[in-house]
Amino acid sequence: MRLNLTGPDGARLLCLAVLVVLPFFVPSAYVRHLIIVAVVYGVVASNWNFSLGYGGIFNFGHLAFFGLGAYASAILAKTVGITPWVTIVLAGVVAVIAAIIVSVPVLRLKGIYVVLVTFAFSQLCLQLIMSQQGMTGGSQGFPLVPQLKLGDYSFASDDKFGYYFVALFLLVISTLYLERLVRSNFGISVVALRDNEDYAVSRGISLARQRLLTLVASALFTGMAGGFFSTYTRVASPEIFGFGPLSLALSMMLLGGTGSIYGPIVGAFVITIVSELMIDLGPARFLIIAAMIILVLLFYPGGIIVGLRRAYDELLKLRPTRA
Amino acid sequence: MATAQSVFLSGIVLGSLYAMMATGLSLVWTTLGIFNFAHGIFMAVGALVAWQVGTDLGWGLGPAAGLAIGVAVLVGIGFLSELVVVRPFLARRDVVLIAVITTLSASIFFENGTLLIWGARYKQLEPLIPGKVDLLSTAISAHEVLIIVIAPLTLVLLWLFLKFTRIGSAIRAVSQNRESALLMGMNVSLLYSSAFALSAGLAGLSGILLGSVRFITPSLGAEPLVKALIVAIFGGLGSLGGTIGAAYVIGLLEAISVYFIGLYWTPALLFGVMILVLLVRPTGLFGRKG
Repeated sequence: MRLNLTGPDGARLLCLAVLVVLPFFVPSAYVRHLIIVAVVYGVVASNWNFSLGYGGIFNFGHLAFFGLGAYASAILAKTVGITPWVTIVLAGVVAVIAAIIVSVPVLRLKGIYVVLVTFAFSQLCLQLIMSQQGMTGGSQGFPLVPQLKLGDYSFASDDKFGYYFVALFLLVISTLYLERLVRSNFGISVVALRDNEDYAVSRGISLARQRLLTLVASALFTGMAGGFFSTYTRVASPEIFGFGPLSLALSMMLLGGTGSIYGPIVGAFVITIVSELMIDLGPARFLIIAAMIILVLLFYPGGIIVGLRRAYDELLKLRPTRA
Repeated sequence: MATAQSVFLSGIVLGSLYAMMATGLSLVWTTLGIFNFAHGIFMAVGALVAWQVGTDLGWGLGPAAGLAIGVAVLVGIGFLSELVVVRPFLARRDVVLIAVITTLSASIFFENGTLLIWGARYKQLEPLIPGKVDLLSTAISAHEVLIIVIAPLTLVLLWLFLKFTRIGSAIRAVSQNRESALLMGMNVSLLYSSAFALSAGLAGLSGILLGSVRFITPSLGAEPLVKALIVAIFGGLGSLGGTIGAAYVIGLLEAISVYFIGLYWTPALLFGVMILVLLVRPTGLFGRKG
C-alpha cells in the first residue's frame, strides 16, 4: 500500500501520532479518561455508520450490540473466570450472534419499520437483563468486573495508562477493518443496495444476505468496544440501553458526518470534549447540546468532517510548491 | 371469576392509553412521513404542566383547569416543535433518519428542561374523579373508568374532526398526496404544524391521565412510548382504525400476560408477537404498502 502523505493519509497519521504521544505530554489522568471514552464512542459510532451511513439500514438497536458485549464480557470474566483479554474478543462474538438474531425480522422490512423493530429489540434486551437479576445484577448493574492484566502488571495502575493504549489499539484496528470493508466488493455492493436497491438486486446482489452481513460486520467491533468498556469502567450498566447513549452515538455520527469512516470518530471526540467542558452547567448542558445538534444538522448537513477537510486542504495550499 | 374481570379491566385501561398515544404517533407518521420520538416526553410535560396549574403544590386551580391548560400548552409546544425541529429538514432526502435525531434532540431538550424547572422529585396528580366504582363486580378507581371513557371519546372526536371538518379533510388530503394538495392551493406547512400540534395535544392528554396513576418523572412516557411503538407496528402505521384496534389487543394481551407469566417476561412476549406479525405481514396487520 502506498501512502499519500500530503493527502488524507498524512492527516490520519498525524492524528494517530498526536494521540500516541499525547499521554506522555499531558499527564492528567482525567484527560486520558476523556480520550478513552471518546475512542470507545468513536469505535461504536464509526461501526454504526457502516450499517446506517453506508448500508442505509436504520438499525436503532446498534447500542444493544455494545451493551450485550459489555455484559457478556463482564459476566464471562467475573462469573466464569475467563481472562478479560479473551472475553473482550468473545464480546464481539456475542454481538455478532445478536446481530444475526435481530436481522431475521429486519430482512423483509423497509424504512421506518426497521427503526421501530431494532429499537424495540434493544428495549427487549434491556428488559431481559433487568429480569435476570441473579445473573446480570438487574437494575443495579453488574459491578466489580476484573481488570486487564499482563503478567503482574495491572492496567488499572499508573492512572490507567495501559488502558489508553488498548483503547487506541482497538480504534486503529477497527478503523483499518472498516477501511478494508468499504473498499471490498462486499462494501461496494452494500452501497449499491442503499443507492438503488432494485437495480442492485437485478444485478444479482442478494438483499437479505447482504443486509445480514452488514449488520454482522457492524456488530463485531461494537461488541468488542462494549467488552472493553465494561472492563475499563469495571461495571456493566443497564443505562447503556437507554435513550441517552443512543442519541449520543447518533449525534456523534451525524455531527461528524456519515459520508466517511472518520466523520463519526471526529464527532465522538468533539461531543465528548464539548459536553465535558460544560459539565458545571448540569442538565442545562444537554439543552445546549440538543440545540447544537439541530443547528449543525441545519447548516452543515455533511457534518464537521467536511469543514475539517476543507481547512486541511487550505492548509496544504499554503505550503510552498516544489518547482 | 373476579380475576378474569379485573385482568380484563386493566387490559382495557392500558389499551385506552396506548390507543391515544399510538394514534398520536400514527397521525404524525401518516401526515408528515416522520416518526416523533419526543412523543414520550410530551406526555411528561403535559402531566407536569397540569400538576403546576392544578395541584395545591402548584397554583391550585383545580384538576379540570390543569387538564385544559396542560393540553393547550402541549398543542402550542407541538406547533413550535414542528416549526423548529421538523420543517427545516422536510426537503432532505434522508428526512426519516434526520427526523429521528432531531425529535430525539427535542426529547433531550425537554427532558432536561423539565428537570431544570421542576427538579427531580416525583410528583403525582390528583385523580380527576376521586373514589372507587364497582364495575363488572370489581372495584376500580373512578379515574380508571374515566380513562376507559375518555380515550374512545377523544378518538371518535378525532375521527369526526378528520372526516367532516375542512381542516380535517385537508390533513387527510395532504397525507394522501402532498403535491396535489399543494396544487389545490392548500397551505401544506400549516397543515403539517396542525397535525403535529394535534398529536402533541393527544400526548399531553394521555400524560395527564397517566399522571395520577403513576408518578410523574421525565421518563413517564418512555415505557408507554415503547408499547405504543409496538402497537403502531402491530396495527400497521397509517391506519387509524388498525392502530386503535391493535392498542386494545396489545393492552389486553399485556394484562393477561402480566397476570399469568409475570411482569418481566411480558415485553419479550409482546416483542415476539410483533415479530411474528411482521414476518407474515411486513407492514403490520392493517398497514398499507409504503
